[in-house]
Amino acid sequence: MAAATWNRHHVLSLADFTAQELDIVLQTAHSFSGVLQRRTKKVPTLQARLVTNLFFEASTRTRSSFELAAKRLSADVLNFSPGNSSLSKGETILDTAKTFLAMGTDLMVIRHQEAGVPQMIATAMDRLGGKVGVLNAGDGYHEHPSQGLLDLFTLCCTLDAQNPQTELLKGKKIAIVGDILHSRVARSNLSSLVTCGADVHIAGPPTLVPKAFSDYGVTLHWELEPAIRDADFVMTLRLQHERMTQHLIPSVREYYQRYGITRDRIRLCNPSVKVLHPGPTNRGVEISSDLMDDPALSLVSKQVTSGVAVRMALLYLMDSGEN
Amino acid sequence: MTHELLHQVRLLDPSQSCDRIADVLISDGQLTAIAESITDIPTDTERRDCSGLILGPGLVDLYCHSGTPGFEARETLQSLGGAAAAGGFTRLTLLPNTQPPLDSPDALTRLQSQIPPDLPVQFQAWGAITQKREGQHLVELSELQASGVAGFSDGRPITNPVLMRRLLEYLAPAQIPIALWPVQPALANQGVVRDGVQALRLGLPENPIISETTALATLLEIVAMIPTPVHIMRVSTARSVSLIAAAKAAGLPITASTSWMHLLWNSEDLASYDTSLRLDPPLGNPEDQEALIQGLQDGILDAIATDHRSYTFEEKTVAFGQAPAGAIGLELALPILWQTFVETNRWSALDLWRILSQQPAQCLSQASPILEMNQPAEMVLFDPQALWTADAQTLKTLGQNTPWFNQSIQGKVLATWCRPPSR
Repeated sequence: MAAATWNRHHVLSLADFTAQELDIVLQTAHSFSGVLQRRTKKVPTLQARLVTNLFFEASTRTRSSFELAAKRLSADVLNFSPGNSSLSKGETILDTAKTFLAMGTDLMVIRHQEAGVPQMIATAMDRLGGKVGVLNAGDGYHEHPSQGLLDLFTLCCTLDAQNPQTELLKGKKIAIVGDILHSRVARSNLSSLVTCGADVHIAGPPTLVPKAFSDYGVTLHWELEPAIRDADFVMTLRLQHERMTQHLIPSVREYYQRYGITRDRIRLCNPSVKVLHPGPTNRGVEISSDLMDDPALSLVSKQVTSGVAVRMALLYLMDSGEN
Repeated sequence: MTHELLHQVRLLDPSQSCDRIADVLISDGQLTAIAESITDIPTDTERRDCSGLILGPGLVDLYCHSGTPGFEARETLQSLGGAAAAGGFTRLTLLPNTQPPLDSPDALTRLQSQIPPDLPVQFQAWGAITQKREGQHLVELSELQASGVAGFSDGRPITNPVLMRRLLEYLAPAQIPIALWPVQPALANQGVVRDGVQALRLGLPENPIISETTALATLLEIVAMIPTPVHIMRVSTARSVSLIAAAKAAGLPITASTSWMHLLWNSEDLASYDTSLRLDPPLGNPEDQEALIQGLQDGILDAIATDHRSYTFEEKTVAFGQAPAGAIGLELALPILWQTFVETNRWSALDLWRILSQQPAQCLSQASPILEMNQPAEMVLFDPQALWTADAQTLKTLGQNTPWFNQSIQGKVLATWCRPPSR
């Protein structure tokens, strides 16, 4: 079984994932997506295990996806959100984590609006000698590994639904367009896609795509056209409206004119091109509404579906890896 | 009378370019004899074998943070002074960011009344430049100077160039140190890591190099027109070192310092998201770190400050981006700088002592501590080889906010002599 070569206790970042590890995730997610297509969409793999979703930052989509993934694996699930919690009474984030550790949590899924919090909690949990695994579900602008992996799974399944593997992406041109600077998804994508050997191009205005990103081993463009020309996949990112007040772009209108993915522009790409978006989407800002809804082009729904299988794979692997 | 003989100790005194082995007799806190070998000693002399140990002038800290008054859970004057003595610092210069701030003679008097009398440390303070350190209105500078502040500094950026100009004009005849921290806060924009590849990888909000250099360039232009001596605090970028070098070459009356942490860490070390490395200014990129080290070596930068700042465990146990900036340093700076720069032969022992003792004193327009006969001694006995662990038991400071917490440290101060002037 693939899991035999998996020894990752925490999943905090994709920056140090090897192609072999990525393949283990893809292969495991592939078998779980088979489970999810059965009539009984549940396996007893994590029975009596406790998965705690510590979502310090509000989230509906990712939290639901993790909750469903854990439930499909028969784990017990606790959900924490900071709204009415003791955090507002001055409890530190470490105390919160320790509380759930004391309840017997086996796997902690952590989202926080600040970069580095999952890592900090993982370090503290290790120091306490516990065996709890920490999964980063998005931290500030740092990383969102499960999103990066579900994107990878979606891409590979599009190329070969029966045998998704990293090898398939070798030499494929993938354009990532938009606000790279403020995107944890993009950072996870960049690391993993480059590890797979994909030809990764990023595009956006210089204020949102600073030069230093070329250090990731990607080709950087400040114009859209050369980035998406002959691309096999185009990944768009969410643009927050607050970027205007920070003087990063003059207006959303100008942004859409220069970098919006439209049907006209998509003609520059490879004829079989597919478009991805991590959601939630600003229709008519990052991508035109009709493209979003075109099943021949858009992989957005597939991304959401893949998310559950990939998260099942991660929870399963992390649980098996440590023991 | 009490007598102590330090047998075959290595004497270091940068003011006399002295680095030699000798016997030293200390009687009642004064050096009474220095010779290659002292045989004629009083009968009740305590003899200490000092081979491998160093005796040097006391270290002078340019700026550090007092918790008293207002933040006693972070640090008290007793714990701060204890840390200073344990780290070889005989003079501490407190920043005015107490609560209430040190912006009036009353506030200074209140602080002075709380200084513990029994520590071998001389406490001095920077008086605030502006009322409540708000950067809006000048304090009553002459009155505060007369009450005995070591100099003026808000310890935070002064962003109003008009106020800066008038301050330098007004204080031109005062002959008192002025320490300014060049930062353009709008550009810093509450960023916590220097701009560069590492900032992108960490996903932390960036504080660009130009937040320091634009403010520094403005300050240097003002000093070029109004040549009141200014000390530039917390230099943290390579570009700033170049600007200061040019300004000094042009004859501007400036001195400059960096913090010890910026010499030892850089932005690549932030991958751990350790909040004890959350500093302000943020740690430099590797090229900045190297430029600061080289700048000290070349004399472009004059001094190393500890910028020692203690926080409670709770205050620092938050996300990196939300953590308050600062690290403790008084007890760690000498041993770790010694291991990093002297043991590796990058700097000579005298070089290090010069930028920790003699030159910080000069930045404060004070006489340097020296090894002088028949005067109250202001000096420190240091064992560069002693091993100890920095933990809650050994550290005198109340803070644990250092990346060396619970780590083994090589080098320890064994004794500190200083007789603070009677008040």
